Amino acid sequence: MEKQENKEGIKGWLNPGRYGIERFAYWLMRLTGIGLLVYFIAHIYETSTILNGKAAWEKMLDLTQTTEGHIILAIVIGMCVFHTANGIRLMLGHGGIGVGKPGRPDYPYTPRSINMKNKLCIYASIGLAALAMMYGLGVMFGE
Amino acid sequence: MRESIVMKVHYGTALGAVALVAVHILFRLTQEFSKSLQYESVIANYEFLPYALVLELILVLISIHGFNGLRVILLELKQGRGYEKAVTYGCIAAMVAVIAYGSRTIILASMGMS
Repeated sequence: MEKQENKEGIKGWLNPGRYGIERFAYWLMRLTGIGLLVYFIAHIYETSTILNGKAAWEKMLDLTQTTEGHIILAIVIGMCVFHTANGIRLMLGHGGIGVGKPGRPDYPYTPRSINMKNKLCIYASIGLAALAMMYGLGVMFGE
Repeated sequence: MRESIVMKVHYGTALGAVALVAVHILFRLTQEFSKSLQYESVIANYEFLPYALVLELILVLISIHGFNGLRVILLELKQGRGYEKAVTYGCIAAMVAVIAYGSRTIILASMGMS
């Protein structure tokens, strides 16, 4: 039974709950990373149509410069900002900045590295992503 | 290559990409967003050599960072000698293909071959 519980595979990886905001940030970091990689490949394909001339480029713009296209781009902006801000937090953490001093593990065994500073950074990253999305929507729809 | 060096490359490419993508976005905002996407405007961007170099650098940096990130995610999901080798070489092959395809667009467009 215990062995089965530990073998959740992708389903377990996809579940962002149970372990607090840090687990949610871990999940969001990977999800935004995959999303951005998919967008990056699509963007390279999209821009390659310029080699086929003006008509092909405008046909591609007709496909992407729509309300749905703008909403997808706004989501990409949000993913990009969260991935960047949370990535900087992780880089600093891996360098030992903001993770606190090591100490004896006493009950209730709260990890020192998972502190309020880190939590605040995660919430700030989500907030920044939301603001950037709103700004992006303003630029794309405000014309 | 040692995993610690791979992670340093991962972080280095991330920082480089953030700075250059900021330049790329600012270029879109030098004029109205829809006007900046017009054919003549985009071709002019490609023909401006420093900007074409920025695009090439972004392509290389994000490809390395993105496919290494994908490799890390896939290795977190499952481990094993054969699987790890397949994931690593698969990601390298995909990275090279994306860089080659993107470079083709940048080189041909900047030489006015569109």
